[in-house]
Amino acid sequence: MIDNMLCSKSHEYVYEKDGNYCIGLTDFAIEQLGDIVFVELPEVGSYYSKGEIFGTVESVKAASELYMPVSGKIIETNEKLIEKPELLNEEPFDGMWLIKISSDSFNEDIGDLTDYNKYKEEVE
Amino acid sequence: MVKRTFLYDEHLKLNAKMVDFAGWEMPVQYHSIIEEHNNVRKNAGIFDVSHMGEIFVSGKESLNFIQYLVPQNIEKLTDGKAMYCQLTNTNGGIVDDLLVYKLKDTNYLLVVNASRVENDYEWIIKNKNSFDVIIENKSDIYSMIAIQGPKASDIIEKAGLIKEEQPKTLCIKETSLFDSKIYISRTGYTGEDGFEIIMKNEDAVKFWNLILKAGEKYNLLPVGLGARDTLRLEAAMSLYGNELNETTTPIEANLSWSVDKNKKENYIGKKVIESQLANGTEKKLIAFKMIERAIARHEYEIMYNNENIGKVTSGGFAPSLGFNIGLGYIKTNKNLKNGDIIQIMVRNKLYNAQITNKNFIIKHNKGN
Repeated sequence: MIDNMLCSKSHEYVYEKDGNYCIGLTDFAIEQLGDIVFVELPEVGSYYSKGEIFGTVESVKAASELYMPVSGKIIETNEKLIEKPELLNEEPFDGMWLIKISSDSFNEDIGDLTDYNKYKEEVE
Repeated sequence: MVKRTFLYDEHLKLNAKMVDFAGWEMPVQYHSIIEEHNNVRKNAGIFDVSHMGEIFVSGKESLNFIQYLVPQNIEKLTDGKAMYCQLTNTNGGIVDDLLVYKLKDTNYLLVVNASRVENDYEWIIKNKNSFDVIIENKSDIYSMIAIQGPKASDIIEKAGLIKEEQPKTLCIKETSLFDSKIYISRTGYTGEDGFEIIMKNEDAVKFWNLILKAGEKYNLLPVGLGARDTLRLEAAMSLYGNELNETTTPIEANLSWSVDKNKKENYIGKKVIESQLANGTEKKLIAFKMIERAIARHEYEIMYNNENIGKVTSGGFAPSLGFNIGLGYIKTNKNLKNGDIIQIMVRNKLYNAQITNKNFIIKHNKGN
């Protein structure tokens, strides 16, 4: 389990890795969605502000939009999820990040995020 | 108050995820919608459909009365047979879609949608006029379990009803199983062969568990409403509230096959329906498959040459096909036909889709 993971109320997580940040969807959100059949991710190089919609994850049941937990520039997207969205159900959630970003405002943006354990207590 | 079927505790024991559907707390999935879906196509699934309604019509004039309620020709029904019908209003709009079973002589059973039971019952009472009939809504005393899939017949045989005694497609039988009286019909909502069993509420748990046991060696699995929806969508079967409503006629809904064009008897909505049969309609239901990678969902706009021509009524991923499909209404004035390309507006972007015939899958629920 990644120990510096922070989670948003809209069920995205973010953690620091090698000076950049990985953003993904929490296990709780994935469990709620059920079988995931579609993932739409942003263009590399584009910039999104905290709270902005950066992509979509759709399960058999429903579409769920993804919100930036912190502001930043997209430096990488997890391309294998485009072809195999079901990996989100099959693989450990903390390894299946959706996007990697660089961020100058990480420390200012995390005020409303909670650590994973506290997040789990709140949602369950 | 949200209602619970008599199988509620069984669903919880099977770790079902429960949701509110048409005023009922129902299982949406037990494990995975896709797995449940695929298992119905490959083996078989058992569904709690106790939320559906059972309205019995009997009495001297029951035939004439039902003839007055539906565009189908019920006179063609012999004892033990079923017909897919709609209750129509004076504008030809669909009050509900249903199966009409002729049990015996003047006794009919109408199996109606959960969301429409009260409404249908009131509608039927309201239109009784001077017909000499008895109308009984027995939805509260009956439960219903569906067993669907290529192994369904084997499972029912293992449960105690040998194949020779099983009803044929679109037929119903009153018989005994597990020492209880039931109605068993060869009908369903998945495009597969299968059965629907109507039993008294107090027998529901027994049936559920004994059928699950009989199905063990055939890989029978419980299936929730999630897969029920993907299965019916692949079979291009309409869902009341999505494809069908009071402002849509059976002709618009591509259900002309269930309208008797030569019916002599009057029925509610006949004038409008006959006029549409002769002159066409302004909108029609189409099926489509997504060409580009996007999922069309209920209420999304359908576009053609940058013009809005309709709306999606149902859409999603089709597990048996591996691509995304949908149903929707479009205006008929563009003369669009199978093979033509339309666009679906998904989150403010247009994605190409192709109009197809409604045979997404090969259906196995016809003739046997």
